[in-house]
Amino acid sequence: MTTVDRGLDAAPPAARGDHPAARPPTGPARRQRRRRGGFTPYALLTPAIIVLGVIVGWPLVQLIVTSFQEFGRAQVFGAPPEWVWFENYADVLTDPVFWAVLVRTILFAGVCVITTMVLGTLIAVMMTRLNKGFRLLLTIGMLLAWAMPPLTSTVVWGWMFDTDYGVINNVLVNAFGLDEYFQHSWLIEPLSFFLVAGVIIVWGAIPFVAFTLYAGLTQVPDEVLEAAQLDGAGGFKRFRLIVFPYLKPIFLITAILQIIWDLKVFTQIFALQDIGGIRALTNTLGVYIYQTSIAGGDFGHGGAIAVITAVLLMSISIYYVRQVTKEEEL
Amino acid sequence: MRKLGIVALGAAAALTLAGCAGGGTGGGSDEGAEIRVWLVGTDTPDEAREYLVETFEEEHPGSTLVIEEQSWDGLVDRLTTSLSGSDSPDVVEVGNTQASAFTSAGAFLDLTEHYEDLGGDDLLPGFVEAGSYDGKFYAAPLYSGARLVFYKKDALAAAGLSVPTTLDEYIANGEALAAANPGKSGIWWPGQDWYNALPYIWENGGEIAVPEGDTWDAQLSSDESIAGLEQVQQVMTNASRAPKDGQETSPEVGFCDGTTLQLSAPSWVKWSILAPADAEAPGCPDQEANLGVYALPGKDGGAAQVFAGGSNIGVSAKSKHPELAVDALKIILSDEFQTIYGKGGLVPAKLSLADTLGTDEVAQAIAAAAGNAKLTPASPKWADVEAAGILQDLFVNIAQGGDVAALAATADEEIEAILNS
Repeated sequence: MTTVDRGLDAAPPAARGDHPAARPPTGPARRQRRRRGGFTPYALLTPAIIVLGVIVGWPLVQLIVTSFQEFGRAQVFGAPPEWVWFENYADVLTDPVFWAVLVRTILFAGVCVITTMVLGTLIAVMMTRLNKGFRLLLTIGMLLAWAMPPLTSTVVWGWMFDTDYGVINNVLVNAFGLDEYFQHSWLIEPLSFFLVAGVIIVWGAIPFVAFTLYAGLTQVPDEVLEAAQLDGAGGFKRFRLIVFPYLKPIFLITAILQIIWDLKVFTQIFALQDIGGIRALTNTLGVYIYQTSIAGGDFGHGGAIAVITAVLLMSISIYYVRQVTKEEEL
Repeated sequence: MRKLGIVALGAAAALTLAGCAGGGTGGGSDEGAEIRVWLVGTDTPDEAREYLVETFEEEHPGSTLVIEEQSWDGLVDRLTTSLSGSDSPDVVEVGNTQASAFTSAGAFLDLTEHYEDLGGDDLLPGFVEAGSYDGKFYAAPLYSGARLVFYKKDALAAAGLSVPTTLDEYIANGEALAAANPGKSGIWWPGQDWYNALPYIWENGGEIAVPEGDTWDAQLSSDESIAGLEQVQQVMTNASRAPKDGQETSPEVGFCDGTTLQLSAPSWVKWSILAPADAEAPGCPDQEANLGVYALPGKDGGAAQVFAGGSNIGVSAKSKHPELAVDALKIILSDEFQTIYGKGGLVPAKLSLADTLGTDEVAQAIAAAAGNAKLTPASPKWADVEAAGILQDLFVNIAQGGDVAALAATADEEIEAILNS
């Protein structure tokens, strides 16, 4: 880290050096500029804060208010809601279905994050070794996967796993002779459902991880790696002892982002449940909130679940924000 | 949450833009207004859609009528969010079993004063009831569909079978067809298709739920219902090769590629099957002579008590042009518009138009089926049971060969939890 940071610190003097005229007025002028700077950041922040307040803050306040009320479809259309305070929360927290959904979501997100990180890292490392042509090909391929909207990709993957006409069953039966896959339903068993969902989510998430880590990998100084190689460190050892410590912040931050995204996954699960499978056994938090509030018309309980989820995600986000600010302070 | 913010921003921007567009041309008055009509699914024939747009725009020069097609899937969710928003569609179709969720919540405009203009006592009584709440009339009948059995005449003949006259015979036929044609469905029945399971429950004397004082008592685990559900399982496992967790959408695909020999579906599926081979959703018009149809037979002969599927149509309480919306509704319930439904194999919303169905095989089967149709429990919360997917899950589990009694008991608990909440 020190090398990178020193480089950053070294930048301002060099820039100043380009404009020697700006140097002489030290002391008071400088202090003045700083005082002015004390106000400017807030002025610049104001529009963003207003936009965030309206778009994120207001719905969040609404959500919290709703979670303390008995809020059904009639209330959506204007009937006055009744305050029940913590009753919704008590109901949710004593409901075994909620806990099953929570545990399922955490386990599923955990598997997805680990798989995404491992595969993303491997691809990033591979990209440093590939020649230009193949790297370009890989980059374009991953960009396309990344650009694909989740709903579209879920529908397409759903077709591939289709029971009657899917290409996967077809190949397994006709190319590999696995007759048990004739009209095999991939979504009916919850584990198999999450395998398919996991494939779709990991497939969509790998490009981000691979690109970020690849950008980081190019920053690892070659001379250190070369020195280690001369000292007899093998490829894995070099990765573990040099590359990983160098890129630890990047690993940490991408992993945290993946955790947050995978915990609140919605589109892929929701669309896949339509194609097949059993809803009660495949609900994750995002889908469960939707089903309770919007489909079921019970916005009070749905709100309570959403607030609990928000708290869970926020606690992870706070850790993320602290890591980011720590990096900046170093 | 951050992502949600972005979505909200997008939605807000879209709403603002839409609002601008509406305001720019409409300017608050009814002149030059745009009326948005939500029709659900492909049930309504194109001819009817064109008639509606042309007639409306003729009667209201300067105004336009736009039909936005919605899917049945997730309709309750979408109506909840869109009808309560500032960008609500003006006229919306809703499934008859879902209507009370919205009439009871005040989502629809009170149409009581227009009742006579819209057709009065000529309207299908069961649907008027479904669209009324607290003595007020909110949603008019749109059409009623009947569920019919479509079959391949040659397959039935090759197996030496004839059109069944009782439910048991129908099941035995399905099993025999499946046994004689390995890999094909004697009765195509994907696991999520719960509408088709209701006749089995009703014919055996069972019910989904019955009112008991102020509460509902779910009845799927009664002895009668269990007998029906076991028959469902028998058909799903022995006669059907459809995906055990599949949806009932696109039944024509299997029928046209030859893997489906019989299936039970809404009457308009006939047109999906006979659609041109180069249509967007291709059918197989060459099968016309081979396509047979009959009403599902009951346990003791005659027509079975089938699910009275169909739609109601109402005006959003938030419509910006309620008068124009009501005018559009009047066109929809006019004899001309409804006759197009009749010719298309759907039961028109008016009793006096029943003869527009014609006298062919399909019409007779529809008349037989509609005469003995039945509804889901009349509770405003029934739509929530549908939206929660409880019945879909139940029948997917049954299709997989699960323990019927245990599954029915669990489903009963879940249904009561919603209906009595």
